[in-house]
Amino acid sequence: MVNISINGQKIRAKEGANVLQEAKDLRIDIPTLCYHNDLTTFGACRLCTVEVKTDGAWKLAASCQTEVAEGMEVLTDSDKVKESRKLAAALLYYKYPGTQAIRDVAEKLGVEVVPTETDSRDCILCGLCTRTCHEIVRADALKFQDRGLGRSLEEPKIEFISPACIGCGSCAYVCSTGFVRMEAVDGKRMIWDKVFKMAVCNNCGRYFAPVEQLEFISRTTGVPVSNLMTCVSCR
Amino acid sequence: MNTMAFSSWNGKIMDNRTTGKGAGKAKKSAEGAFPAQLDGQSFAALMGWNGLVIVDPKADVVALTLAYLKEAKGLSCGECSVCMIGIDRVLDILKKMAAGKGDQHDLGEIEEIVKGVMANGKCNFGRAAALTPVLDAVKYFKADFLALPNAEKKFMEHKDYRSAVTAPCMNACPAALDIPGYIELIRNNKFKESLDLVRDRCILPGVIGRSCTHICEDACVRKDMDGSLAIRLLKRSAADQDLQGGASALTTPKVEKKEKIAIVGAGPAGLAAAYHLRRMGYQVTIFEALPKAGGMAAVGIPDYRLPKDILNHEVDLIKRMGVEIRFNSPVELLNWPDLQKEGYAAAFLAVGAHVGTKIGCRGEEIASDDVVQGAEFLRNLSLGKQAVPVNKVVIIGGGNVALDCARNCIRLGYKHVEIVYRRSPAEMPGSKEEIGEAIHENVKFTYLTAPVGIVRKVGKVAGIECMKMKLGEPDASGRKRPVPIKGSEFTLKTDMVIAATGQKPDLALLTDKEKVDMTTTWGTIKTDPRSCSTAVGGIFAGGDCVSGPATLIEALNMGNKAAKSIDAYLQGKTFADDLIFEGIDVSQQRDMGFVPPTKTGEVKFLEVDERLKGFAEVEGGFNAAAAIKEAQRCLRCYRLMVWQ
Repeated sequence: MVNISINGQKIRAKEGANVLQEAKDLRIDIPTLCYHNDLTTFGACRLCTVEVKTDGAWKLAASCQTEVAEGMEVLTDSDKVKESRKLAAALLYYKYPGTQAIRDVAEKLGVEVVPTETDSRDCILCGLCTRTCHEIVRADALKFQDRGLGRSLEEPKIEFISPACIGCGSCAYVCSTGFVRMEAVDGKRMIWDKVFKMAVCNNCGRYFAPVEQLEFISRTTGVPVSNLMTCVSCR
Repeated sequence: MNTMAFSSWNGKIMDNRTTGKGAGKAKKSAEGAFPAQLDGQSFAALMGWNGLVIVDPKADVVALTLAYLKEAKGLSCGECSVCMIGIDRVLDILKKMAAGKGDQHDLGEIEEIVKGVMANGKCNFGRAAALTPVLDAVKYFKADFLALPNAEKKFMEHKDYRSAVTAPCMNACPAALDIPGYIELIRNNKFKESLDLVRDRCILPGVIGRSCTHICEDACVRKDMDGSLAIRLLKRSAADQDLQGGASALTTPKVEKKEKIAIVGAGPAGLAAAYHLRRMGYQVTIFEALPKAGGMAAVGIPDYRLPKDILNHEVDLIKRMGVEIRFNSPVELLNWPDLQKEGYAAAFLAVGAHVGTKIGCRGEEIASDDVVQGAEFLRNLSLGKQAVPVNKVVIIGGGNVALDCARNCIRLGYKHVEIVYRRSPAEMPGSKEEIGEAIHENVKFTYLTAPVGIVRKVGKVAGIECMKMKLGEPDASGRKRPVPIKGSEFTLKTDMVIAATGQKPDLALLTDKEKVDMTTTWGTIKTDPRSCSTAVGGIFAGGDCVSGPATLIEALNMGNKAAKSIDAYLQGKTFADDLIFEGIDVSQQRDMGFVPPTKTGEVKFLEVDERLKGFAEVEGGFNAAAAIKEAQRCLRCYRLMVWQ
């Protein structure tokens, strides 16, 4: 355990924990669009910025990627913090003016938001889907497009590796803007433009999971597919 | 060249303009305060990651800023909300102004965005480079920007800008590998793409990923914070993942060219040149004296540091592209006219430096099995010649060859292994990691001691007479010169002496006339350092036979360059080398901001008693998950320069 202070409040935090989680536990509201408790941190949205005192000086830091350390002092509500968050939100709003999730957070952080009818549900490259697919599902069907020196692409985006996708829908579940859409019709699931055949529960007869997902689970666990044909509610 | 109109390099303002903010009299500026030349040439105006340098007062700062931002957009990873969108926003504001709209408030917004990105960008490109110099432009050249909407001046886009990118790690790497690039691909779980990027400039990724001296890691911006990135191990992980996943082939040439090229020596330089020339479609034949390819990687670096199946695999890939390697084919005499008659259009000499230099002590001249050269000792081991372990061996020298000999001897069953070095630990040229591992494995080190004569009894080595040394003034190499202490002679008992005090190339393949024309006083081949060309047209040279004993990556880079240069020579084009950032301190940046400390990735090392049972690889690598985790530590310190 380490001793830290958040907004002057002294607490004992678990070693290895991040400042964002500690602040959340204290019910301090910190905006974020790319953080998830079960995933590695990514630091992309720059909305969870706080001030941290290091070597006697206050510096801005993404709270999600800042590990607690003995004697650490944190401010979550200073003018500098507010200003920095507002700029990040304003830039996000500039780029994705029609995305409701962005509009909400921008408005909350003091950006002037003009009313609109549509929700364009843009991908904001928060990396929640890629991390979920890699770290939780382990299917590796979603990756960032090549970037950096020598890349030719104009706008970065997420690459969908169709053969690797098992249709589990976890990406749609974690997506912060609704960009990843999942639809179900007539025993079929559509996600990222790939169509999956749904398996029927042996017991209740309802569609409950894509066949490819059951096959994937069978491959990784060694349990035969025939033993997986019962839905969660009937098990 | 010491005058300029304006410089904000490293945040230090020097303003010699006759109008505008801070106008003053022309001052002579301190040398090194700003880049005076780029690639040996002067420029009119430059916008780089750390400032703005205007030489020609008539240079168009607005157009330069736009050109810089366009390049910056391509380098921004687009991951965080502030950097790429910030660049987009600033570009849009400037375009609006260029179209004749906007005012002072727009410049204020630009300032606000730049400061925000510098303080809150995710990576160090955002914090240090993406928009930093734009701040100086809008601050000190306000009138130039405001002239656009005020319709005083019509905006003209220029197209003649040049740009270059580096990073502290890239700049330190002899082969200028795109290190942040291949690390980013690993971070994004794209090991194959990462390996392809590495292969562009380093065709032996598994070899270099194990045995490189990794000076890039010393330049890593995280070094003094929470430890450098494990750059070498990340490169190794890209190679390891590929091998585990079934090993990808190298791309074969799209078009065949009829020109034949002869390469002498299948070491890192020869292999790199062969790969690139073959990729361009040339017909490449390598003449190799030994039965193995790899040069010092094959017969110098021991198995416990570099398992030979790794090297053999990477050589095989090059062979499978259609490069012919003729083994056991020493070139006794390089008969260039004859080779030309056989149809060779160019030759690349990369024979390495495999001949040990003398220690310079009495009794050394007598040929015997118990006084051997370090490089020869290692070569014999690699070629399968059985060593006969003795009770005690003394190794003279402080470089990596000495360390490799010592650690090999320990494994071979030599009971007492002692390295004798004439200076102190601080001056030792061998890698610090190797020294640590050798100590771990029970190699004894005796410093400030130099050999004077070899003592023999009945024809067999019985000891080595030494003298104690003290450190004097620094010599030409910058290291403190060892000075003998009078009367300090003593005899060190030993059964064998290995001399590992340096190597030089064997240039017997050159005629006496060629030796005069083509070699240096150091006994190495003289070349143009950028194009690798020699005094004889059509003959190029690189690797240790040019540089003297150096690192694998330096040799490899000379192979890379020679391939480009040979292609230019054969196609009648001008050879364009990479831009070097000479005289520019790429480690400089304004504010770093706060970087949350993270633990460096650790790998497992084989236990000492396991190591000494044989030649198993000592250092473990990262698995995929550990590599991705380590890659996440990269700050992505790309530095951009745009100039005219």
